[in-house]
Amino acid sequence: MAFEIANIDGSADNAAEPSRPRKFLLRHASFMVGSLTILLLGLAWEFARPLGLPGLSRLPAPTAIVAASAELLHSPMFWEACYKSTLRIISGFCLAQIVGIPLGFIMATNRTIFNSAFPVAESLRPIPPVAWIPISIIFWPTREASTIFIVFLGAFWIVLLNTIGGVSTIDQTYRRAALSLGSSRGHLLRYIIFPATLPTIVTGMVISMGICWEMVVAAEMIAGDTGLGYLLWQSFEISATAQVLVCMFTIGLAGFLSSAAIRKLGRLLTPWSPNE
Amino acid sequence: MQGALSIRGARKVYDAKTAKVVALDSIDLDIAAGEFCAVVGPSGCGKTTLLNAIAGFDTLSRGDITLDGQSLASANASAPPDASRIVVFQNGALFPWRTVLWNVACGPIMQRRLTAVQANQQAMELLARVGLQDSANKFPGELSGGQRRRVEIVRALINEPKVLLLDEPFRALDALTKSVMQEYLIELLTYVPKTVFFITHDLEEAIFLGDKVVVFSSRPARIRQSVTIDIPKPRRHEILTSPRFLEIKAMLSGAIHEEALRAFTVGERELA
Repeated sequence: MAFEIANIDGSADNAAEPSRPRKFLLRHASFMVGSLTILLLGLAWEFARPLGLPGLSRLPAPTAIVAASAELLHSPMFWEACYKSTLRIISGFCLAQIVGIPLGFIMATNRTIFNSAFPVAESLRPIPPVAWIPISIIFWPTREASTIFIVFLGAFWIVLLNTIGGVSTIDQTYRRAALSLGSSRGHLLRYIIFPATLPTIVTGMVISMGICWEMVVAAEMIAGDTGLGYLLWQSFEISATAQVLVCMFTIGLAGFLSSAAIRKLGRLLTPWSPNE
Repeated sequence: MQGALSIRGARKVYDAKTAKVVALDSIDLDIAAGEFCAVVGPSGCGKTTLLNAIAGFDTLSRGDITLDGQSLASANASAPPDASRIVVFQNGALFPWRTVLWNVACGPIMQRRLTAVQANQQAMELLARVGLQDSANKFPGELSGGQRRRVEIVRALINEPKVLLLDEPFRALDALTKSVMQEYLIELLTYVPKTVFFITHDLEEAIFLGDKVVVFSSRPARIRQSVTIDIPKPRRHEILTSPRFLEIKAMLSGAIHEEALRAFTVGERELA
């Protein structure tokens, strides 16, 4: 009797919802499809290579890249490079927020400062941060400082302009409503202008994080003596092409993860914003 | 009771570089303390201009506005906005980044009139009165349009304003929600009577809510007609079909239609 009941229960469960592995597959369907595509592209690369396609045959096979990455993951030099680059990203990125956000607020709320500072900003902004590298090396006492400066510069303009834009597009009625409710200038800044600008600041953070990775790699290639960009260039110089590709993928992954982290942080900072 | 609003010879000229636009012209209007004055007029006629001058967001070019004998606005000068006259805006102005409770309680706290504990308690009582006590810790974005309007009216009332300035507050709502909101407003105002300056496009709404209905002409806004509504209060929606209501409506709708038509023709000419 007891056995029968258990059996009935079991079959009822099966009918109501798919089995556990199936459920897992359903929930992660898009991830699965994506991974499969990458795997297929890798296989295509592997098997197209011996066909003698121009260019492709000069690149290492995916299997060689996997082997090179296994080797690289065991070397402390690789982790040192990751650590150094990450540290530079964090320093440059944070500096850009610390300088750019308050400066943006000051410029957007004070007409005199805006009129004097904005032309300066607009004439420096079109210069690509990479073009700053030589001057940066001359100006800053250490290579480390100049690399961080380039990363900072990449993020800074975006942070600054996004903050200014955010402040100047605040709906006038919020300001009016707050004034009616008895808010002082301090209240206005703290309770209205700052939170109203926060979503735009977060957008600026996400975009600037991507630019930071571009800048750190470029700066390390040219001016660095450590870091992923440096390692990538060194690997190229000694013709360790598989290692070059591993560095590329690592940088891509790091950029992806840091943008995801910033997006997560943004959702925590602006809990009222609807999730897209 | 406080809140007697007096407007004398109000005129507003917007001095755009090319052409002068006269938005208001010689408006004389007295609203007694506790009176509900509904203003009806075509779009863009200058109703909101007058409301902005009362609220302290804008100045008048000529004329005076006083509240209980104290000057709010005179030629090119106006008292800064404060909690004595609170606006409920057309498109809503709840701060989306703060909870409903914070939105309601923030006024008395910022004015240092109540402590945070007192203000929160009072806010909860008022929210309960409009059936929103369970939404106190939600963000405004999580509420429906009608719920947001209720929060906004409650946020105005907690500040004990002398005048409540409502700028087409129910415009964005569907007809059913609108009629429910009108009854909420009536109920709240019997609980805390206020002088009300209420702008609307909707003549039925104006008659249903108002002690007095004032029809503004198309730009420049002048007072075209002013009618005291003698239907006893409290009113319920059944009166919308009563003979007296229809009689008043017939009396006003001719003037409104004429002004709307004029505004429309002028608009066509300006665009052409």
